[in-house]
Amino acid sequence: MEKSLFRFIWQYSARQQMVILLITVLSYPVSYILLELPKLIVNDAIQGELFPREVLGFEFDQISYLVLLCFAFLGLVILSNGIKLVLNVYKGRLGERMLRRLRFELFQRVLRFRLPHFKKVSSGEIIPMITSEVEDVGGFIGEAVALPAYQGGMLAVQIGFIFMQDPLLGLAAISSYPMQAYIIPKLQKKVVLLSRQRVRNVRVIADKIGESITGVSEIHANDASAWHSADLSDRLYTNYKIRFKIFNWKYFIKFLNNFMNQLTPFLFYLIGGWLVIEGNLSIGALLAVIAAYKDLAGPWKELLAYYQMVADVDVKYQTVVENFDPPDIYPVARLVTDEPEPLSGALALKNVSVSGGAAGQEAFDVTVTVEPDQHLAVIGPDGSGRSEVLQLAAGLLGPTSGRVEIGGRNLETLSESVLGRQIAYVGPSVHVWTGTVRDNIFYGLRHRPLRPPERTGERKADYARRLSEAQLTSNPQYDIEAEWEDLDALACADVDDLVEHALALIELTGLAADVFRMGLQATIDPESQPEFAEAILAARRALADRVAHDDRFSAMIELWQIDRFNNSASIAENLLFAAPADSSIGIDTLASDPDIEAALKESGLYTRLLEIGQKIAETMVELFANISDDSGLLGDYSFITQDELPEFERILRAAKIGSGKGGLTPTDEQRLIGLAFKLIPARHRLGVLDDDMRGEIVAARATFHKRMDEAERRFVVFDRDRFVAPMTIEDNLLFGRPRVDRRDAREKIDKVIRALVEEMELRRPIIRAGLGFHVGVAGSRLSAGQRRRVALVRALMKNAPVTILDETATGNSDDDKALRKVIREQLDGRMLLFGASNLIVAEEFDHSIVMNQGRMTESASGDDNAD
Amino acid sequence: MTLDSEVDALRRVPLFRGIDATKLRLLAFISDRTHFAPGEELCRQGEEGDSAFIILEGEADIRVSTPDGERTVARLGQHSIVGEIAILCDVPRTATVAAATEMDVLTVSKDDFLRLLKEFPDMSLEVMRTLAQRLERTTQDLAAQKASGAAA
Repeated sequence: MEKSLFRFIWQYSARQQMVILLITVLSYPVSYILLELPKLIVNDAIQGELFPREVLGFEFDQISYLVLLCFAFLGLVILSNGIKLVLNVYKGRLGERMLRRLRFELFQRVLRFRLPHFKKVSSGEIIPMITSEVEDVGGFIGEAVALPAYQGGMLAVQIGFIFMQDPLLGLAAISSYPMQAYIIPKLQKKVVLLSRQRVRNVRVIADKIGESITGVSEIHANDASAWHSADLSDRLYTNYKIRFKIFNWKYFIKFLNNFMNQLTPFLFYLIGGWLVIEGNLSIGALLAVIAAYKDLAGPWKELLAYYQMVADVDVKYQTVVENFDPPDIYPVARLVTDEPEPLSGALALKNVSVSGGAAGQEAFDVTVTVEPDQHLAVIGPDGSGRSEVLQLAAGLLGPTSGRVEIGGRNLETLSESVLGRQIAYVGPSVHVWTGTVRDNIFYGLRHRPLRPPERTGERKADYARRLSEAQLTSNPQYDIEAEWEDLDALACADVDDLVEHALALIELTGLAADVFRMGLQATIDPESQPEFAEAILAARRALADRVAHDDRFSAMIELWQIDRFNNSASIAENLLFAAPADSSIGIDTLASDPDIEAALKESGLYTRLLEIGQKIAETMVELFANISDDSGLLGDYSFITQDELPEFERILRAAKIGSGKGGLTPTDEQRLIGLAFKLIPARHRLGVLDDDMRGEIVAARATFHKRMDEAERRFVVFDRDRFVAPMTIEDNLLFGRPRVDRRDAREKIDKVIRALVEEMELRRPIIRAGLGFHVGVAGSRLSAGQRRRVALVRALMKNAPVTILDETATGNSDDDKALRKVIREQLDGRMLLFGASNLIVAEEFDHSIVMNQGRMTESASGDDNAD
Repeated sequence: MTLDSEVDALRRVPLFRGIDATKLRLLAFISDRTHFAPGEELCRQGEEGDSAFIILEGEADIRVSTPDGERTVARLGQHSIVGEIAILCDVPRTATVAAATEMDVLTVSKDDFLRLLKEFPDMSLEVMRTLAQRLERTTQDLAAQKASGAAA
């Protein structure tokens, strides 16, 4: 990578820099004439004589001559500002493009780092480098060449002019330059060093903050927040110290500059005055030189400012780039080559050693051969070199000596398009990506965009622009919107086929029950899956049938019925008898929805609900007023949190005053209604709801539904014969609520639903819906076991000739044993390297090697236990 | 079925007799009201107990397992409390309680009750007083029994 900023700028933007320079130079005559024209207007047109004048063969009297000149002035103003606009946009765009190029190059370099390199760098340091630290570089690039060239040229012209007037005065004019040219870089060097320190310190700060967030549970568990606070505070102090020093130097340099610049006039007046008095220089020439010197100060100041900026930006660039140039970085070709040649033949590690990490992360002189259809157990405790051997075999780790080959081909020389597709690897710590289960399971098949979407019209033009920008900045032209799943790897006809395959693997690996549960909680779009929605409705009918005939079961549920109040559901649900289409809308926000407020007023329920809300608030305040906040009672049972209690006390006081000044504001009313909305009568038993009110609420549903038709589908009505999209699949199946006043109603209903789903063959489709479950940030909504199984399914989906599993399903439990059996059956006839710390696992394999302290201690082959 | 009727029922329970009405309201509010069908069990003998049951409506059979099988030893009616020892200390259930008719029961969980006691120390005093009185009575009964035993 280019070590200096200027080399980088020149290499990728020489042509554009020349264009900027050209436009800058061209703009000079325009601004010159623009400055001259007012003088001409005043002196010639307004105060001048000798009219009419002839311009370009036309005759002008005084007024029309004035008009002509003024319009010429107007035209030039437009032209000059137009040029500035074009130039600024051009510079800005160039800067952004260069920045994009730089950032992408840096990111690609991160991808090219060898794995051991990541033991030395942390994401907390890398992220600010690629994001914020290079930001200034972009702003600078547009100015990089044009500014010094232009201002330098101006300076040279002015100096030349002064020299032509008088060489001695010329010397006086530039007398301070050598001093400045000598001292300022020396001082600037100190600033540069400090800047470097500052950047490094900020990186450490970023890293510490990142680490604190990752390890926040440890901080709390160990009462270590004081230590971390002190640590960070100390870093902040260092930052302050460095910045303060930088300010001191920066302003000192400024002071010195200004001082020296103003020293020169002193010389002019002294030497020039002396020359004039002696008669060696005319007074006119002296004045002209002084005027020229004033013009000199501008460009000189600009150049010095530019110099300081270069020093600043260059140091930023270098402190970033030096981190992205490790000597052992992989060549770009390893990443970008797309030649998926099949790997076949035996895997051979020949006298392979790897070291460089800490003790316990090494392997010495390992030699082993694995046949293409062989299953080999690699046994060894953590730190024995087991993981290193497996990573070597996967081509993730390069050997320091020896060779790793598959079918005679050295893995070091193969690109990731071969390694990453022909070898499936699950390491000791798996990573699950933020996204859906489906994203994660198909992850191993997304190597390149394969089936681009159909684009027409505006979208097509937009895509073309996107491509050409990518080309201009050496970014990749992969289409993120395309379908990336490699169907050929599994010989699938279409994505549906692939999903079926995935479902089969999910079933085999024991992930099905989990994904099923996710599926029950998922929502689907009934329009895109009409058959599935219909099947769920059929199940709903069967369940309703069961409710009608089974008294014990029916006592557990309150079904949604348009003419019945549901005591196990909130008042809001009872009123609306619908769900907001946007599931992020909560009950609290419903009360402030204008449509709902209007419907409430129309049906006359507004004041009744207000009263109910008030009664609830009164009861809550009465019951919980004397409760301390650490009892936990308030959070678990009250409608109101501890923090809200005083607020509701105030609202209650306001309610006593009644309407008018000091009374309830519209926001207060919304809060009270929101409180009433949350009431679940069967659970809360506050006695605020009588049968009349229930009847009125049921009757009001019609008013709400009429309004909802107009509310542009913001709400979806509960309809027994229609799928309710915002409800989860489970709620759609049940179409009701487990009764809160029956013991274990939910558990009992769950059991029935499960049986029914099985009976109606809905299990598969629900699991399929579970594939859309969002796993949270880095899989945080999955358990460790689920994450590992997801990673295992991902690896098996690749259908690779070589599969390498480390620390996966290695326990002695029946579950793990069964899973091992499944894995081996699935990979029958293909190569499997199975890493485990558990010696018992080796007994299940015909072939095994044992690692100990980085060395292979024994190699058991099938002969020992076969026959 | 409102809080007030539940508070009423709670007030009739000797253990809660001295506690003032607001706190009983709170206790009622944080407790679960559950319906049981005839035959359904509230708790089983030998299980770890974690709640007390106050019968609001209906009747329950108390059954104890004997060498000859399960035997109904008592029938409890409205406003009776069952398993109140369980909300004060960890003991296994000494009998099985099953609904004899349709029943409405207020279930007071041990955790909630203890949290309330912690919150209102006055309440603990009242409970202690009731327990002490009960102990006193038991001691007297025992003494009387011994005395009559000695006399015999």
